[in-house]
Formats: sequence, C-alpha cells, structure tokens
Amino acid sequence: MRRGTFVRWGVPIAAAAVIGAAIGAGPVIAAVSGEPALPERSAAQLLADAVAATNKEGGAAPMSGTVQQTSSLGLPALPSSGSASPLSLLSGSHEVKVWFGAADKLRVAMPTQLNETNLILNGGEGWYWDSATNTATKLTIKKGDTHTPATPVPQPSDLTPQQVAERVLAHADEHTAVRVINNAEVAGRPVYQLVLSPKEEGSLVQEVRIALDGETYVPLQVQVYAKGSAEPAFQLGFTQVTFTPPAAENFTFTPPPGAKVEEKTIGLEDMRGKQAEQHAEHAERVASEAKVVGDGWASVAVIPFSLSDLTAAATGTPDASATPGGPGEHFGEGADPQALLDSVLKSATPVSGTWGSGKLIKTKLVTALLTDDGRLLVGAVTPEEITKAAGTK
Amino acid sequence: MSTAESATSTATRRTPGLVPVTETMRTTERTEEPATDHPAAGPSGPSAPSGRRSAARATWAFWRLLGSELGLTFRRPRNLVMLAVLAAVPVVIGVTLRLVGGSDDGMGGIIQAVAGNSLMLTFVSFSFLVLLLMPVAISVVAGDSIAGEAGGGTLRYLLAAPAGRTRLLAVKYLNAVVYAYAVTAVVALSALLTGLVLFPAGPVTLLSGTTIPVLDGLVRIAITVGYVGAGMAALAAIALALSTFTEVSIGAIAGTMVLVIVCQVLRAIPELGSITPYLLPTKFTNFDAVLRSPIDTGALADGLLTFGAYILLFGTIAWARFSGKDITS
Amino acid sequence: MTAVMQEAGAPFGAAPPSGDAIVTEGLTKRFRGGQVAVDALDLAVPRGSVFGFLGPNGSGKTTTIRMLLGLVAPTAGEYAVLGLPQAEALPKVGALVEGPAFYPYLSGTANLMRFDAADPYAVRGTVRRRVEEALERVGLSAAAGKRYRNYSLGMRQRLAIAAALLGPRELLILDEPTNGLDPQGTREVRALVKEIAADGTTVFVSSHLLAEVEQMCTHAAIMRAGRLVAQGTIASLNGGLVTRIRVETPDEPGAARVLGSLGLAEVRIEGGQVLAELGGHAPEQINAALVGEGVAVRGLAVVRPSLEDVFVGLTGEGFDVDG
Ligand SMILES: Nc1ncnc2c1ncn2[C@@H]1O[C@H](COP(=O)(O)OP(=O)(O)OP(=O)(O)O)[C@@H](O)[C@H]1O
Ligand SMILES: [Mg+2]
Repeated sequence: MRRGTFVRWGVPIAAAAVIGAAIGAGPVIAAVSGEPALPERSAAQLLADAVAATNKEGGAAPMSGTVQQTSSLGLPALPSSGSASPLSLLSGSHEVKVWFGAADKLRVAMPTQLNETNLILNGGEGWYWDSATNTATKLTIKKGDTHTPATPVPQPSDLTPQQVAERVLAHADEHTAVRVINNAEVAGRPVYQLVLSPKEEGSLVQEVRIALDGETYVPLQVQVYAKGSAEPAFQLGFTQVTFTPPAAENFTFTPPPGAKVEEKTIGLEDMRGKQAEQHAEHAERVASEAKVVGDGWASVAVIPFSLSDLTAAATGTPDASATPGGPGEHFGEGADPQALLDSVLKSATPVSGTWGSGKLIKTKLVTALLTDDGRLLVGAVTPEEITKAAGTK
Repeated sequence: MSTAESATSTATRRTPGLVPVTETMRTTERTEEPATDHPAAGPSGPSAPSGRRSAARATWAFWRLLGSELGLTFRRPRNLVMLAVLAAVPVVIGVTLRLVGGSDDGMGGIIQAVAGNSLMLTFVSFSFLVLLLMPVAISVVAGDSIAGEAGGGTLRYLLAAPAGRTRLLAVKYLNAVVYAYAVTAVVALSALLTGLVLFPAGPVTLLSGTTIPVLDGLVRIAITVGYVGAGMAALAAIALALSTFTEVSIGAIAGTMVLVIVCQVLRAIPELGSITPYLLPTKFTNFDAVLRSPIDTGALADGLLTFGAYILLFGTIAWARFSGKDITS
Repeated sequence: MTAVMQEAGAPFGAAPPSGDAIVTEGLTKRFRGGQVAVDALDLAVPRGSVFGFLGPNGSGKTTTIRMLLGLVAPTAGEYAVLGLPQAEALPKVGALVEGPAFYPYLSGTANLMRFDAADPYAVRGTVRRRVEEALERVGLSAAAGKRYRNYSLGMRQRLAIAAALLGPRELLILDEPTNGLDPQGTREVRALVKEIAADGTTVFVSSHLLAEVEQMCTHAAIMRAGRLVAQGTIASLNGGLVTRIRVETPDEPGAARVLGSLGLAEVRIEGGQVLAELGGHAPEQINAALVGEGVAVRGLAVVRPSLEDVFVGLTGEGFDVDG
C-alpha cells in the first residue's frame, strides 16, 4: 500500500518536474550548453562583420518579432500607472511587436489588455493609432531624417567596417574589458554576445551584454547586469524573431470608419510635440549648469537641483538614464509623477558627511544623491563613489 | 500484525483463488481488459471472449457513463440557473452600452467599438465574465463533481458498481469540460444575438485599427470560444483536484474561487510582475489576441500551453489523490 | 427455527464448485489516527450460503464490507470476492453499504439508471426492464416516478435494495438491510433474501437483529472490536449452548427431586421455577413423570438457546461500544 502511494504521487511530481523543466529549459539550456554554437570571433572581427552587414545594400535584414523589456531596477514600489505610460517601463516586463520591412517600412505595436497602440512608418508617411482613444494620427515625416530606429549601430559611410570597429574598441579599452561569447541563444537563435565589463571599481554595473544574431548580426538583445545579481537588472530583446519579410499589410493603414483622424507633420525627434518644447528650455538650462565628475563608467553627473524643481522636471522628461531606448517610450503620456516622486522620496535614506548632507536613493544600477545644498548627483556607481563626488566641488 | 509478517505467512498458506490486496487494488483501476489479463476469470466471468470486443465494450460503457453524467449536470436546476445568469450578462452589458453610448462620444475606445459593431459585444462580455463569473460557474460544477458525490454518499455506490476510479475521474473531468464549453458558448451566443439586435452589423474594426469582414469576425469569435473554453477547462482541473480532497463540495468550490481571487490580487501588485505570467487567470484575458492584426498566435499558443500545463499538473494530482483515497462517506 | 436448523448445512453439504464467495486472510484496517477498525480478520463465506455478519456497534462490520468492495484499502492481509480480480467480481456483486444514498432530485427509476450506467458490464438495452423488475421486487413500482427526496425512510431502504438487485448477481452484500423498514418490509426483505438465496446467490448480510439473522441465515460470524470471535453454521454456533426445560410449579423441591431422579443435569430452583438441562429426554415424558409423582405443574417449557445468548456470551453484556 505504502509503495503504491509513492508510485501514485510520483505521477504528479513527475508532471511538475516536466512543467518546471519546460519553463526553465530555455535559459538553462542556453547557459549549460558549453559547445560553441558559432565560430569564434574576436570583438573587433565581430564588430566589423556587424557594421559590414548593416551597411549592405538595403540596410538591415527584414524581420519581425516580439521585443520584451524587463527591468528589475530595485526601485521603490511604483504607483501603478497607465500601462502605456513610459513610467511603467521602469518596473515589470513589457512587450512590443515589431515588423521591419525595409529602412523606411516599420510597424511597432504595443498590445495591452483589450487595447493596442500602433506606429506605422511607410516611406515618408506614417500613422499612429491608439485604440483606447479611437484616434488615428497621420504623420508626415520631414525629409532627410529617415534613418531607421532599428539600427542603432552608427553608419559613418566614410569608414570601412574594420576601421569603425577598431575605433570603437580603442575608445572602449580605456575603461572597459571586452570579450565575446559565442554559445548563447536569444529567441531560439544562436548569437554572439559582446560583453562589456567596466574596469572601474566603483561602478554598479557588472557588465553589459549585447547579443548579435549569428547570421544577420542584427542586435537581438541588450542586458545590463548589476553587481552581485545573477539576473539582468535591465533587459531589452527579442523573445521571438523571424528574418522573413513581413506581410505588406503590416505597413499599410487606413483609418477605420468612425475613428478620429488627426494630422501632424513632424521629424522623428519631435514625437513629443509641444510639451517637449516647453521643457526643452528648462532642460537646456539644466544641461549648461551640469558637470561630470569621474571617469568612464564611474562618472557622476552633478546637476543643480532643488525639490521644487523636481516636480516640474518630472512632468517633462523622466530620468533619461533610466529609460534607455525601446520603441515603447514614445507611447502614451502622463501617469502621476507626483505620486511617483512621493514614493521614491519616501524610500530615500538621509546621509551626511564632510561634504554636507542629503538624501540618497539607491537602486540596483543607479544611485542618486540629492544634497541639501541643492545639487543632484546621479551615476551608475556605489553610494561611496557618489558621496566622494559630492565632496569634489 | 505487521505487513511484513502477513506477507511471509501468506506465502506459505495461500488459499486458491485468493488475490493479494495490492493486486486487487491494482486491477480495480484497470477496468479495460480484465479478461485478457486474468484468464482465471473462468466461463462464468462477465468478460467478453476477445480483447478487442472487450475494449469496444469498455469504450461504449465509458460514453454511457459520460452521457449519464452530462444528463445529471444539464438537468440540475442549479447548473441551468448559472447558465441563464451568464447568458443574461451580455444582454445587460449591451443595453447599458446602448443607453450610455448613445448619449455622448467621449467614451473609451472599446465602448465605441461596441457601439460601432455588433460583434464587439462578444469580446467585451468575455473580458468582463472571464474574470470572475465564468470561473464561479465552472468551479461550482467541477468542485462539486467528486466532493458532492462523496458528501451525498453516492460515490460509494458508483465505485461499488464498479465505475472504476480512474474512469469515474475522467468522466467527471470531461463533464466539467463540456460544461465549461457550454458556458462559453452560451455567453458568446447571447452576446452575439444581443449585439445584432442593439448595434449595427458590418465590418469589424480590430484593436490594431484594421477592418475585417463580418464572416472573418465570426471566425474570430469561434477561436475566442475555443480559447476561453480551454482556459475554463484548466480551471476545472484545479477545482476537480480540490474536490478529491474533501467531502464538502462548498469547500472545493470556495477553495477554487479563493485561488482565482488571490491570483487577480497578485496580478495587481507590480512587484510580483515576474510571477503573473504563470498565474492561470492572467491567461484568460489573452483571447484579445484574436482582435489584433495579424492574430497574435504566439499569445494564444502561450495561453494554451499554460492551460495544458495546469490540466496536466492538477489532473495528475486529482488522480493520485482519488485513486488512493479511502471512501468512508 | 427448526426449519433453519434443518436447512443448515444443506448448501454447505454439497461442496460449492469454485470455493468460497468471500475469503479474507489476516485482513486488517488501521485508519489514519491509529484506530484499528478490523484486526486480522479471517473470514470464509461459502457459496450459496446466507451469511449473517454480526457484531456490536463499531465492531468493524461496515469497514470490512467497504474493504471487500474496494472502497477502503486494507492496511494488511488479503481478500478475494468470488475468487476473481476486483474489477471482474464487483459487477456480479450487489451491495448495500451503510444505508441508502441517492440523488435527491432524481426519481427512483432515474437513480437506478444512473447507477446502472456506472457498471461497465451492464447492458444498456435491457436497463429499463431490469430497473422495472428490481423496483417490482422491492415493492416500489408505484413510487418509481417520485423524486427520491420525497421518499420515506423505508422507501429509500427499499430503493437501495433494488439497486443491489439491478443485474444478475452472484453475491449480495447487504449492510443492515432492514434498517428503518416496517414489519411488513422486514418480512418482505427476509422473504426476498430467502428467494434470492434459493436461486443460488450468496447473501452476506450484516445486522443487529439477531432474531432476524437466526431466521434467515445458514451461517454467521460474530465480530467484536474488529476481531472475529466466532464463525460457522448457525447450528454449530448454537451447538455450544444447551437446551433446557423449565417447570413452573408451587412445589419446587418436589419437581427438583423428580428431575434429578430422571437423570437431568444442572437442576436449579429459581423462585417458582425449576430449570434443568434437557439432554436427550423427551419433554412429554418428563411431564408424565412429574404428574405421576404428584407434582403440580402449572407450566412446562423447552428453552432453546438463542443466537442472542451466543452473541451476548461472546461479545459481553456491556452497553458501551468498544474502541
Ligand atoms: N474514517 C474513519 N476514520 C477513523 N475511524 C473510523 C473510520 N470509519 C470507521 N472508523 C472506526 O472503525 C470502527 C469500526 O467502524 P464500522 O463502521 O466498521 O463499525 P460497524 O461494525 O459497521 O458499526 P455499526 O454496527 O454501528 O454500523 C469504529 O470504531 C469506527 O469509529
Ligand atoms: Mg455499520
């Protein structure tokens, strides 16, 4: 009887094991598989190949897929904001779908619960569709500004790929150790991972990993690892990708009957419209007064700042260093910045030293210090480094 | 007397025809082909002459038991009332949207979409019902399935009949799945009819902003019914598993509902974002993938895989518990 | 009673071809929590017998029956029903376990159909006829269409017996079948059991009503606190006790003297009565002797031992349940 009981309960236990294995299999297999899946490359070779591949005739290869962004920055509890808000990208995980046909054919869709926002670019024309407001916005894009957002690799046409690679690496070498991993996998495809590790002691960043597709050299993933944490603090990459040209329907858009239709003529940089202009002035003033202390990865930005400014600034651009890239950041406005600020400040710890006193906010990747004498220090460094920076007037 | 002692003693004095307990327990489970396994059954045995015929008989007997189970489920006033209530919800939603939507156009997109097209009411109804009301109906039927029989004492007569424990569990689960699909289909039909009466028919605007013909829209409703029904079937597996642990059906039903509500609460906590993709209710609302262009098959497949995992896990738990349980009610 | 005595051994004498209907060896059930409900039970129920299963409350009768039906897994020991693997045996076994249990919202007929559907060997085509016959047999035809919820206690009990009679059975296991029945019902069940037994079906019936068991059964077993204390034919169980003669008389010493002189053993005087073991003597000769000696006889009776005496002798007088 007793043995029978063991055998019976062995069945659900085996089922649980199978399910657990299926969930964990992807990362585990990718991590465990020791055999190099791709021929070895040095960092310089890899970069050269990547630049060469993207400079080829039509630019990057046509593709489509799902991009997922996950952040676990160790921020204090964020008040739940609209799911399409840029602030919501600071925590949790978010998905966008990308269809890339050619340099001037792009569709980015951000699906949310029973809603969807779409950005469709086709030639000089574009549409922005928001199902929540039932609004289609026709975008006419200024000429001469059509470089594709999907290829962040610089394309200086006067240099050979090898030269570009050497230059980048030479510059990086000072502060960064670079190596290449050739047995990783992203979205089921073998990739090269370019691993950049800061040489500075005080940096919070353990390493940055950039995955390039083994065949097309398209960047498939960026991961930022914080020190002392096995999971990336920030990750942006494809969870699913295919390198076949997407169907043409993806790049055509006709406003559905009954939808509000608006028109806008803008350059890509102007996506934020009027609001951004209003704050541009403020940002410019801030930038002119800002200075940088420290070198390379350990640099700390020192910005004149006061708590009263903080609210105004937050309504404008959220902390630029915390929302890197991601097509999703163009979508939606709002959320309650005041609530965010309150909750962030609540978690700040008061600190003091020879440099004065202030409030320290620490996340996995970024440390910020708001001194009582009206300076804001921000950097991807340890609290010790930032207080040291606060001491250098 | 210890088990070891009895084992050695029976090895020496064994009455002819006496079958060890472990063996008889095992054969109770396997109602399929007793004749081929046990030629000792003799001519008086109920066993059919050939294995194939006995397999065919077992199959027929299975369908007969399932038919009996379905008859019980769909004749029970309680279950019919739940179906009726669920059918009424889309009507209420439709009428409300009709009254509200007509007054002003400052409405959210989805409400406008309903007002603009009769088929959209189905999707909106599902997005409401899938959160709580449909899970309630499914938990009542699945949670009651074993516990209710145990509490009423009928379980002992079913098993003595002998229904066979694995066979009975399979029938009970299939019955719950059929009820889950009945609930889903009733909601879809009610919403479709209400929509056709209250709102204009015509090409359907998807969430992506593209427009598809009505027929395509109906196909997408059918896909939604298939997907949501599968989700409810996964929930039924959980309720069935809980049902095998108690003789009080309210316990199993309430337990399932508590799980659903806890999951909904967990989903609302942003810090727990990393576990929400694994929670079953998270996947219920994924049916909106059919409203995208192209259909987000990845999201649907992901949801179906999750449902399959839940069905596998809780189905085997229910089996492990039920096949070894002492029926003392 | 004499009828039972004569019947006893008849089916037993002709040895059943395929062994016993129920055999258990060392069957033990220890419930979670340590309660030993059945302790090393060795039972042998001959085919064709009507077997009474006796025991005080809580002595483990129902637990034994549950094990035989595969509802409860034994902790140790072995058992065989009809000498077949359980899945094959159970379709040939009709059972009534611890009272009736049906779906209250279904009619009697629908309830029987439901349980018939659960039996993988039942033939669907004949179910209507079989249900009608079973209801007929327990006298429920008139109430067949009524909802079970509205049945009286006795009607429910009858329906449970009908469910046990749905198919062709080789063994009937009835746990307290006359519980809640009116006197007519009790008599009918008794007659039914005899009728079924006459067809060659083995009947295993647990009961508290000793008189009933004595009237219906050919064999009996007695349980006490999970242990088997006696089993055998009714005659052999009674055989341990002696038949007495009781003389009511105003002249007790005289009567005692006469009985003693006739050679009767264990002569006792108990307030107006004289008791003695009857032995091989004929009661009418004793009467004649008493009258011949001038002893006034007011009444004379032969006291046969009852199963109750056996039962109480084996299980004790105490009212409290064991364990
Ligand atoms: N599920 C259970 N868990 C623990 N103990 C139990 C369980 N079922 C029965 N018992 C115990 O087993 C013993 C035998 O119970 P059982 O029901 O077999 O008695 P019974 O002979 O049928 O009594 P009755 O004549 O009253 O019907 C009792 O002491 C009872 O308390
Ligand atoms: Mg009992």
